[in-house]
Amino acid sequence: MDEREGALGRAIDALRALPDVRSEATARLLIAVAAERQREREAATGRMRRRSRGPAWIAVASAAAVVLGISQIPAVRAVESSAQIGKTALPAHSVPAVPVSSAADLTNSPRSVQLVLSAPGARTVRVVGDFNGWNDRQSPMVRDDASGLWNVRLMLRPGRHVYAFVVNDTQWVRDPRAAAAPDADFGRPGSVLLVGRP
Amino acid sequence: MYYARCLRFALHMLSDRDDAEEAVQDTFIRVHRALPKYEEREAFEPWLFRILANRCRTAGGRARRHADVVEYGEVPERPADHAEDDAFAWREAIRAALVSLPRDQREAFLMRHVEDLTYEDMSVATGARVSALKMRVKRACDALRALLSEEKHGG
Repeated sequence: MDEREGALGRAIDALRALPDVRSEATARLLIAVAAERQREREAATGRMRRRSRGPAWIAVASAAAVVLGISQIPAVRAVESSAQIGKTALPAHSVPAVPVSSAADLTNSPRSVQLVLSAPGARTVRVVGDFNGWNDRQSPMVRDDASGLWNVRLMLRPGRHVYAFVVNDTQWVRDPRAAAAPDADFGRPGSVLLVGRP
Repeated sequence: MYYARCLRFALHMLSDRDDAEEAVQDTFIRVHRALPKYEEREAFEPWLFRILANRCRTAGGRARRHADVVEYGEVPERPADHAEDDAFAWREAIRAALVSLPRDQREAFLMRHVEDLTYEDMSVATGARVSALKMRVKRACDALRALLSEEKHGG
């Protein structure tokens, strides 16, 4: 029997219609591919293995400052707060936690990193990045009602990460205080996060 | 464009746009990683669909969070507002019939009749023998024909 006849034929015709392609999906894909290429370049040049013992904490703190999205970040105090691994709460009207890690952890293991964005009017904020495959469902941020700050804690491996915030499910936002990722050329903003190694 | 084709296949396999987009993105990343190993004498499409089908199987194995919504071309975003629409009912009948198939039959049917892969290419893409694939497609067609012939829509 010919599959192209009758109800089955009409069903096949319907199934062959190409779906609409969402621009945000292709943008995520392009950014993810660009991030993949960047990782390959870094691996090839050995940048990921470069050690800089002294500025390691500074690198972490800088990354924190980059992603905090608030002004006057006391980086030194933030670094000192790293002793409170996993215990740092987000008090209202105060500086939230920053990327933290144990000084005793000298391995390549993931570090606890807290990303914070000031977006008091947002309904939802999520983090997308190379670390979660640019999946906007994996890293939702939690809003602190008193301060209007959104935060999320992630476990990230040392190295360079590219990320962005997705506000209200549709608006991609580069962190205003972070270095812009070159991947932003692909139509969506992106920021750079450096997680250092002690 | 391969993206739209891959998305079509993933949508029909997974019945969820977010899952489908994720599967396609994973596919393209893996294709990018594997390109250095890709041999030009190997046909590209079966190689691509092998990766895509694997990603869909992985995604399909996870929780089916939105199994009741799928998009076919111009399906209204709010189908509840068009419950009386014959076209929507027809698409819904197709979706339900497709979902009712065993996964391997659905996969084989889509590769053959929607993506136009040859049975030889399907064999590369799935790892199954041609004879087994022909049987899957036949069973899928028989089941779909029976299910859809009961419908009053789509004429």
